[in-house]
Amino acid sequence: MNAANIAVLDDDEDLGLTVARLLVRNGLAACAFTAPEQVLEALPACSIACVVSDIQMGEMDGFAFADALRARDPAVALVFMTAWPTTAHAVDAVRRHGGLDYLEKPIDEARLLAAVTEGLGWSARQRRIAETTRAFTRREREVFDLLVLGHSNKEIAERLSISPRTVEDHRAAIVAKTRANGLAQLVALSRGETN
Amino acid sequence: MWTEAGSCAPESFVRPRGKSRRLTHPVNFPGSVPPAKRPDRQAMIAAQGKNTVSQQGLALRRSDVPLLGVYALAFGLLHWAAQPWGGAGFFSLWYPAAGLRFAVLWQRGARLTPWLMASELCVHWIIGAAPLTGPDVLPEAIGALRPALAYGLAVAGVRWLTSRGAGALTMLPMPLGIAALAGPVIAALFIIPLALLRPDLPGTGIHLSLVISLTGFAVGDMLGVLVVAPPLLWFSGSSRLPRDGILPRPGALISDGAILVACLLLTMALWRAGLGLQPIPSVLAGAWIGLRHGRIAAWFAILAEVALFLPYTAGPVGDATRLELHLGIAAVVIATWLAGSFTDAQTAARAALDKRNRLLFQAERLKTLRAMSVAVIHEISQPLSTLAIEASHLKERTGDLPADIAESAALVDRKARTLSELVRRLRRFGSRDADEPSPLPVAMLLQTVRQMLTAELHEQNCRLQITPVTPDLTVMAQEIELTQALVNLARNAITASADREVRISAAGAGGEVHIAVANRVAPEAPLDGSGMGVGLIIARTIVEAHGGVLTRKDEPGLVRFILTLPLSGAEA
Repeated sequence: MNAANIAVLDDDEDLGLTVARLLVRNGLAACAFTAPEQVLEALPACSIACVVSDIQMGEMDGFAFADALRARDPAVALVFMTAWPTTAHAVDAVRRHGGLDYLEKPIDEARLLAAVTEGLGWSARQRRIAETTRAFTRREREVFDLLVLGHSNKEIAERLSISPRTVEDHRAAIVAKTRANGLAQLVALSRGETN
Repeated sequence: MWTEAGSCAPESFVRPRGKSRRLTHPVNFPGSVPPAKRPDRQAMIAAQGKNTVSQQGLALRRSDVPLLGVYALAFGLLHWAAQPWGGAGFFSLWYPAAGLRFAVLWQRGARLTPWLMASELCVHWIIGAAPLTGPDVLPEAIGALRPALAYGLAVAGVRWLTSRGAGALTMLPMPLGIAALAGPVIAALFIIPLALLRPDLPGTGIHLSLVISLTGFAVGDMLGVLVVAPPLLWFSGSSRLPRDGILPRPGALISDGAILVACLLLTMALWRAGLGLQPIPSVLAGAWIGLRHGRIAAWFAILAEVALFLPYTAGPVGDATRLELHLGIAAVVIATWLAGSFTDAQTAARAALDKRNRLLFQAERLKTLRAMSVAVIHEISQPLSTLAIEASHLKERTGDLPADIAESAALVDRKARTLSELVRRLRRFGSRDADEPSPLPVAMLLQTVRQMLTAELHEQNCRLQITPVTPDLTVMAQEIELTQALVNLARNAITASADREVRISAAGAGGEVHIAVANRVAPEAPLDGSGMGVGLIIARTIVEAHGGVLTRKDEPGLVRFILTLPLSGAEA
């Protein structure tokens, strides 16, 4: 259970298990859930990186679940699947709820695998970014965000209304905390890429 | 002489114009429009009538010449026959020639007005009613031209009002009744300026004799129009009769007859009592008959009244008495006729409402059906997802097992895939989402049509032959709509097919693709099926929205609809 980093959530137990087995057969670690609450409960214990969720479920629908999930862990990737596809839902799923894909049932296997793989990668990058920036103070985070966009110390100072000297101090702290040697490496870190 | 081809039926001419033009473009109607579908036909008639009127204006058509000849002859005879009811200041208090004039104008349109004026003037000259020499030539000629002009204006005016808007008075057949009254009234009012212009009449202003002249003229014309014009219009087929035909039901006949007789007896009683000939009882009887049984009964009641009283008034009664009696008869006739027209209008309105209700009911049922199919698709897609994934897995794992197991697994997998594909297509078809135009291979469209009709074909034991289509034929279209159009056409063809086979073929030619949907019919088979023709209208609307046309090219024993659409990329 702990190894499973993909959760398949569908109130139809058969379908959930089938999708989970399909993912397992393709070398991924997945396990099925039938209620959104179960996934939220399992969240702290298992390191879930990606959730494949149905949209029309009982009391809590897929979108409400997505919001609850994001509130707990913003680094989990979401892939939606539905038997009632509409354009409005598809747009909502991707735009508002950060879904990586919106799959119509009956499910296209190749597309599901591609979406889940992408989701795992995205989640891993998010976690590394979070890891990198966790030790930063709020100011350091602001400086870091501007720095990796290619701004000079002077520009950052102007934008944040602080002196260039202070920016240099923050920059030194960032380098010390990330143990990065050079701007290129900082940029890579900000994108969640491995060193 | 009344029912020549190409004449436009006035009552069906007035109504459908606005509506049918909005639905379908008149210019897109070729000559091959299906004769069986009523709305299309009416629209075509309307479009044709409109075109010819605008093209030819007041010009005389070849078919009008014999009509004018017969008209002149009949007009002369009726004019002469009206003499016994004459009097000082007016020509006749019963003028059937006016009915003939009105019927011709109403049936053929106000465009004939100048020609009728000319023909009436000639008649007046020939029979000596108007002098050919002397100082009175001009005023008498103007007097002879006046009524036809007034009638033409009345007919044109009522037609114009009717085409502009719908109200209680423009509901068929009310316009006919209003025009029948407006004609005589306008013609009578025209007397006033003419009388003022004549130097030989003593005094100016409204003289007493002028009032008598006006009244006499209007009364005579109204009686003539309301008695003579209705049967002429009915027999010429331009005024639609009520469904049950011209013969009244025996029950209605007896009750109406009894009412009429009772009221006449009452009239007699009043007369005997020294109160004179009172029109009130007959007005009540006529209104009652008209309101209960419509125009036909009203006309027969009018006929009975006129037949009863006119011989008497033709006799030696004084001018004043004659005028008074005819005023009474006119009141009876007008009330009776308007009551009948109103009832027929109500009946027509009710029938239209019933039809709309049926359509609404059908639409409601379709909506339910659609909601149901969406639900069914959902219910199927859920377990189908499981089935498809597991079937594919089974197929992979059984590849190296004995052949029969592997084949079974492969078959299950294939069928699950087909089913999944079908569910996706059906869902796309049923969804409300905006359907963006996209390049669509014609072959794929026809494939979808076949899938959608599979159940129906099976049920009707019908075959659908789709001739293989070259894959490069592509149209720019909204998939759902165009599929709907093709499905509608194919569905009609399935219903009408005599040999249980429908053929669809497609061929590209000169930047266009022609998709033909054809079925054999028994030569004597009725052309209109069980449907309401809605499917065809929808199909035509969709095709025209795609910049195409839908035409019908039949061959003996074969009904064929051809859908012509521009090929995508043809303009590039």
